[in-house]
Amino acid sequence: MVTIIDLNIGNLQSVTNAFQRVGISVSVSRTPEEAKDARVLVLPGVGAFERAMVQLNRQGFAPLIRTHALEYQRPLIGICLGMQLLADRSYEHGVFEGLGLISGDVIPLEPRPPDARVPNIGWMSVKATKPSIMFPECVDGQSFYHVHSYHLACRDESDVAATFCFADQQIVTAVQRENVFGVQFHPEKSQDAGLNLLSALMTHVTSLNRQHAV
Amino acid sequence: MSFHRLIPVILLKNGLIVRSQLFRIHQTIGNPVYTVRRLSNWNVDELILLDISTADFHDMRRDDMQVRYQDSTSLGVLKQIAEHCFMPLTVGGRVRSVDDMRERLLAGADKCAINSEAVRNPELITAGAKAFGSQCIVVSIDALRKDDGSLEVFIDGGKDPTGLHPATWAAECERLGAGEILINSIDRDGTGWGYDLELVEQVSAAVSIPVIACGGVGAYEHFPSAFLEAGASAAAAANIFNFFELSYPNAKKTCLDAGISMRPVSLGSRWFPREPEYEFEAETQRHQARLKRARSGRFVAAENTAPRNVRWCTNCVYPSLSATPMEFDEDGVCMGCRMGSMRVDTPQQEWDRRKSFLVDIFEEARSSDGKRHDCVIGVSGGKDSYFQTHYIKNVLGYNPLLVTYYGNNYTEAGERNLRRMTDVFDVDHIIYTPGIGLLKKLNRLGFTIMGDMNWHNHIGIATLPIRIAVQNGIPLVVYGEHGYADLCGQFSMNDFVEWTYRNRLEHFARGYDWNYMVGREGITASQMTAYQYPSDEQLYELGLRTIYLGNYVPWDGNANASLMHELYGFEFGNLAFERTYRRASNLDDMHENGAHDYLKFIKFGYGRCTDHASKDIRSGIMSRREAIELVHKHDPVRPSDIERWCEYVGMSESEFDAIADTFRDARVWWTEEGEWCKQDILDESK
Repeated sequence: MVTIIDLNIGNLQSVTNAFQRVGISVSVSRTPEEAKDARVLVLPGVGAFERAMVQLNRQGFAPLIRTHALEYQRPLIGICLGMQLLADRSYEHGVFEGLGLISGDVIPLEPRPPDARVPNIGWMSVKATKPSIMFPECVDGQSFYHVHSYHLACRDESDVAATFCFADQQIVTAVQRENVFGVQFHPEKSQDAGLNLLSALMTHVTSLNRQHAV
Repeated sequence: MSFHRLIPVILLKNGLIVRSQLFRIHQTIGNPVYTVRRLSNWNVDELILLDISTADFHDMRRDDMQVRYQDSTSLGVLKQIAEHCFMPLTVGGRVRSVDDMRERLLAGADKCAINSEAVRNPELITAGAKAFGSQCIVVSIDALRKDDGSLEVFIDGGKDPTGLHPATWAAECERLGAGEILINSIDRDGTGWGYDLELVEQVSAAVSIPVIACGGVGAYEHFPSAFLEAGASAAAAANIFNFFELSYPNAKKTCLDAGISMRPVSLGSRWFPREPEYEFEAETQRHQARLKRARSGRFVAAENTAPRNVRWCTNCVYPSLSATPMEFDEDGVCMGCRMGSMRVDTPQQEWDRRKSFLVDIFEEARSSDGKRHDCVIGVSGGKDSYFQTHYIKNVLGYNPLLVTYYGNNYTEAGERNLRRMTDVFDVDHIIYTPGIGLLKKLNRLGFTIMGDMNWHNHIGIATLPIRIAVQNGIPLVVYGEHGYADLCGQFSMNDFVEWTYRNRLEHFARGYDWNYMVGREGITASQMTAYQYPSDEQLYELGLRTIYLGNYVPWDGNANASLMHELYGFEFGNLAFERTYRRASNLDDMHENGAHDYLKFIKFGYGRCTDHASKDIRSGIMSRREAIELVHKHDPVRPSDIERWCEYVGMSESEFDAIADTFRDARVWWTEEGEWCKQDILDESK
């Protein structure tokens, strides 16, 4: 069972369908109260960083997410903008504080036409940078669907789980720090590769939770 | 850089997929859910859904299909499609405001395509991009190449000129905030001639956002040119993905072989098995509810007293509400008549060209080392089976393997015709007979679940020849005619449509694949092997093609029957059928023209006589007045073989009638003083 945070800024149906397709039941929370006992929290998101962060704070989710991840050490999964929200800060249309769970900044992609255009929309081939739960061997080298204009630059290399190549640069697209996970791409729109990733991740995350329960 | 994309386009009209020709002719292909599942099963890069409906309403209440819509709105269809759709989804059609976009995004779309409204109100592009981001806004442009070679943007389904040049307009769209351009050629639509590369190239050169090429693809070889010659970021097509088995994987392979950078071919998704997954308990409850309705005599069709609105083709006698995917044009003429007249008008020169294509296909498939047969022919022993075998063995000179699914209900003449084939043609013949106990169960299940005892027959005929071909490494299977292309003009002759799993599942099996029956009446998976279609991997590896001979050879059922009688002693039925005037059809199953066809009448208010008479009107050998007389005589007859069938499967006739009545379509039937009523074709003039 995962609990998806609804910031009321986009359609959660695709993400919900994807978890259900790999056999995971889903509940959607609009208030921190509904999410306080979550075993696994999912933070999806589309749109602008600032607006999402304002919503997180306004709905009172920010402290809950920190407690969930840091105090309870329970799994937290950020998807697309949700991964960017894990960072210290973002430079999208200003400077804005993030959740500070993955150390690093969200900065613009540097376009280099004609091949590397921004926003970066499409299927990118993704490579694992280390053995990790976030980006396991079964999906290494496969392509995932990306839609974004900003990317997370990690301060700590060891947080990086996978990257893709954009204008000769390695762009971070999957991160993991202990129980905090994030992907820049859309696993729910990446067909088998995305569903394989979610399935493998949930298998590990469930066993992680079981260890904690002991 | 991101990969180039290959994108199937689904054209939806009133809830159903249509094939489009020059933006004017639309032929119904089927329910989008089957197609989207198939595309998910192939891991397609992306999907574009264009709704060209004329109204925000559709009517798909057929009660005998496994997939039914939950409501009757376009957004409802979109939601249902999105459930099976784990790839990026672009949705277009009647998007006129930011609210329209929001609605579609909330229903599961990732991007919105705007077309006519963008021309009328260019600020909509900017407003959409502001609200949802440029990546969400696709501007769809329909361009017509006029007689003098110049290009112009047309809107409102290709009807109204705008005075805009497509390249200029595309550049303006980018400036206004569009994230992508979908460029479609009106004059290439449905022609199969390939993209208008100059059009695509001009648009690509005018913008820096991605351009999706569309319109005119008729062969896989047309796809790479969109990238190599016209600079497109993505190549899209609609019709071709409905025509051939493994169309998407094969199209992709063609692009990859041409050196285009793309995601690899993918078959056999782990998360989207090709065979649908059925919810056993929910389905069982559905059947029990039906049986309960049958016992209590509370029929859905009897509840509604509103006037029904069935119309008939103005040329033949085909009704607007039918068991088949049928469309009518503006003059009220059905697509069966329209395509039929094209067929009749096909010159000999064209048939010669087609024969040479056929010979090429056979030359590619022929056994070079003598270790196998050249092809498989699925035969029932009927007039068409004789004609196919005659043509392939004795006209073209190849060595076919005949395969028959033997459903245990042959008429005496049909049985003799079947057994005679090895003798008169001197060919090998596999006759596969399932266990009688299993057949009885499948008869019962087919009848109670979908109102068709012959489900097993249809899916058996649609599976076994392909299975045997794969088992023996034979890369070619030949069927006679594409039934719906013939009866309701589902495709164009230039499509050279081939056999597909989707067509088998949707139209032969009504959405009920073999696995649906496992666990019912104690049936096990291994008992159902004859009905298990080979895997996509097996089909792909063998390069199996399953063609319809009718696409390559002039085909006239009546003439074929006479010729086969003359040459090979093919027997006509010695007894007249009760439900049709023809004598040479469906001798392979005594219930096909009887109880099975009677159920079509119960469901939709017409029967096989309507089919036969419509075909004979189109061939010019019957007048509409004669046809109407025959339809009146034969369509309502309750045939005597119902008694035999009930005895065969152990059911009382009153139980049969009650279950049958649960399938009556409320759009056709109502009751007056306890009697079933429907409109009559003669009422049309009133």
